[in-house]
Amino acid sequence: MEILFRPEGIHVPAIDLWLDPRTPVGSAWLSHAHSDHARGLHRTVIATRITAGIYRHRWPLPAGREQEVLRLDPGETMEFRGARLTALQAAHILGAAQLLIEYEGERTVYTGDIKLAAPICGWATEIMPCDRLIIESTFALPIYDFLSAAEAKERIVRFAAESVAAGLVPVFLGYGLGRGQEIVHTLTEAGLPCAVHGAIAGLIPYYEAEGISFPGWEPYERRKDETRPLVVTPGLQDSLAAPAARIRVALVSGWAAVDSARARSGADVLIPYSDHAGFLELLAIVEQTGARRVDIVHGYAEPLARLLRQRGLDAVAAVASATEVQV
Amino acid sequence: MKALAACAEAVAAAPGRNEKIARVAAYLTTLGDDDLARAVLYLSGRTFPASDRRKLSVGHATLREALVQVTGWDLEMIGTCYREVGDTGETVALLVRRHTQGQEMTLAQAEALYAELEQARRTARKVELLAGAFRTFDWLALKYFAKGITGNLRIGLQEKMVEEALAAATGLAGDVVRGANNRSGDLARVARAARSGTIGEIEAVLFHPLDFMLAKPLDAVGDLADPGEWWVEDKYDGIRAQAHIDAGRVRLFTRGLEETTAAFPEVILGLAPLPGPLVLDGEILAWREGRALAFSVLQQRIARKQVSAKTMAEVPVIFLAYDLLLFGGELQFTVPVEQRRRELERLGLRHLAPQVRLSSHGEIEERFLAARGRGNEGLILKRAGSLYESGKRGGNWLKVKRPYGTLDVVVTAAEQGHGRRASVLSDVTFAVRSGDRYLNVGKAYSGLTDEEIRQLTVLFKAATVERYGRVSLLRPEVVLEVAFDGVQQSPRHKSGYALRFPRIVRWRQDKGAEDCDTLERVREMYEASLR
Repeated sequence: MEILFRPEGIHVPAIDLWLDPRTPVGSAWLSHAHSDHARGLHRTVIATRITAGIYRHRWPLPAGREQEVLRLDPGETMEFRGARLTALQAAHILGAAQLLIEYEGERTVYTGDIKLAAPICGWATEIMPCDRLIIESTFALPIYDFLSAAEAKERIVRFAAESVAAGLVPVFLGYGLGRGQEIVHTLTEAGLPCAVHGAIAGLIPYYEAEGISFPGWEPYERRKDETRPLVVTPGLQDSLAAPAARIRVALVSGWAAVDSARARSGADVLIPYSDHAGFLELLAIVEQTGARRVDIVHGYAEPLARLLRQRGLDAVAAVASATEVQV
Repeated sequence: MKALAACAEAVAAAPGRNEKIARVAAYLTTLGDDDLARAVLYLSGRTFPASDRRKLSVGHATLREALVQVTGWDLEMIGTCYREVGDTGETVALLVRRHTQGQEMTLAQAEALYAELEQARRTARKVELLAGAFRTFDWLALKYFAKGITGNLRIGLQEKMVEEALAAATGLAGDVVRGANNRSGDLARVARAARSGTIGEIEAVLFHPLDFMLAKPLDAVGDLADPGEWWVEDKYDGIRAQAHIDAGRVRLFTRGLEETTAAFPEVILGLAPLPGPLVLDGEILAWREGRALAFSVLQQRIARKQVSAKTMAEVPVIFLAYDLLLFGGELQFTVPVEQRRRELERLGLRHLAPQVRLSSHGEIEERFLAARGRGNEGLILKRAGSLYESGKRGGNWLKVKRPYGTLDVVVTAAEQGHGRRASVLSDVTFAVRSGDRYLNVGKAYSGLTDEEIRQLTVLFKAATVERYGRVSLLRPEVVLEVAFDGVQQSPRHKSGYALRFPRIVRWRQDKGAEDCDTLERVREMYEASLR
């Protein structure tokens, strides 16, 4: 089955299906709801129920426009233009899924963004044996080796508790969808009510709908006398009302694995936790699928491809365009 | 080492200088005497005391080879990782994490390992020692062990701050610890003495460089309140140097505290007969017919390990003394300038900077012009009765010099910085215009604010034409104003010239590449400097 890696996204011409296209197309599989994957108004969208819901929130349908939304939840299969499509759980953000495409006897899996073990909010990856694997490589260097979800939760709670005890305001930097809610969930579950910035707060209802609880969070308001932990999107720490001398900033991200992230983000404390796989997890995913052909997108594609070729796989860095990755 | 690593990580995350010092001090108080001595060294980014003749010659290639052996990743992968991390010690730690048994490394073990690495002659043996350590010890301890090898921890902790922490941890004044470390160049010994209350007994060690006293610029002659209270000497445009002399042995150190003995054999021969022990402060100058030649001439003698007889004949060099730091076995820091001068004059030196007492404001201008007429840079004023304030720029020495000039230059390449600046393009190569071409004349690292660097990084990324590793070649668009101390000939740049000590004065957002200065202007400045 031919697969084309184009600046607009990944295209499967035999069934005219696009995987996470960047511009509007006919039919699109949306692996998860981050805006560099789920964007634009395609004629037909295939996604999990959760992904479709958040996508709709971020890309409302203008009046008079129509769109076909086909729900495909993990474990479900559908016929599509002569191929069989099966959604599989992907450990990434809430609702993320891989797509298995079976066509003319060949099994291809597109991972989307992925790691192996379950994130703080979300499910574990289901490994599906396949002939060909299309996998991401955001952190495909051996220096990237992240905390487990349990370790990350412990570090988040400890940083917040220690800062509060020292009379300082802990500020967490996390992206609007995924990391932000995971931090808020972790803090509130540990009995640390926090104030949450708008971009993160707006998506909390989608998490609550899946039974994830956030007891005692409040929307962030600019207050000079703030004492609660704050959860904000990166870059925002400079515009907080609390005086700089009173805040302590933590970055929870895969990029926090490297000390220079401190200068880059302005954070004092680095908590290296990601919803992408570290290097060894990526290798484990590739190995466990048994795929002989591996196409690598998004990130350190070339180093990973070279390594897999040394191990006898037919591996190609399939990078068509510059990527903007949400973590 | 695990506790030292934890301390270093806490220092990296601490917001300010005082907070960092407090964390180091808290850690130091937990240590016994032996470990205290080791810890202050390692936290200063040293493997051996400064005055110790041992030097660890372990390069990046050796470290990478050990990483290949331990991790199984090839050099290309390790190189990619290094570029991403921007620090060798950190790269080592992140890569060996899954390959080490994770045993605790004691400070004594680190010390023994550094000593063994220093002893090892063959690279293969060094690789073997490193690989053994990488397989054995806790990765966070290895991070700081390896950072020690490269000589920079990159946690915002300077040796002066470690001295202050040691002072705080032992209940001494900061100046007492600083003074003892300056005299002995052995912070480990200072730490032991601080514990045993014998710090006052630490004497100056010859053949280890002492901090130089520095001069503050005097911007306007009228700023000087009482001209009659000052001694005046010419300010020479050479290499500031310290000569250590004893029993026929001589070593020369530059202001950066680097040794430069081998480059100037005739100076060594000339100083060797002097009665030691003796430490002189002065200037290395290219010298002919009783006057100094331009720095661009002296430049031909710099950084040479061996000097040919021909070069020595073409560019004769002298050491011109102007102060006395150690005499009769005693440090002279607390001796007034007049008395130091008297002893200096009695030594019978061949070259001694003339010194006179100033009388009026008008005389400064006169003497300044006369000094310039002799090819010197300007004047140095030394306050009557003042002491030698080693390592300080305290205002008891003043310098009178005119800035050489500034040029508007255009940036042609930018490079990722290191450490804190590893993620931004902070180091810039710049050029002047020659017809429709832009030819490089220098490279600068500092002078802009972090915010400007961030903004420029965005512009540089947009203007990048090609990338070679850490370096991005740019379309010439961004114009900077740079100040510098002179123009010299340079075979390295196509323009044929390089600016001396260039530093960025400001970002000229009002100018485009076509408005920058020309090669012709640089050539004129160079020609003028030879006159």
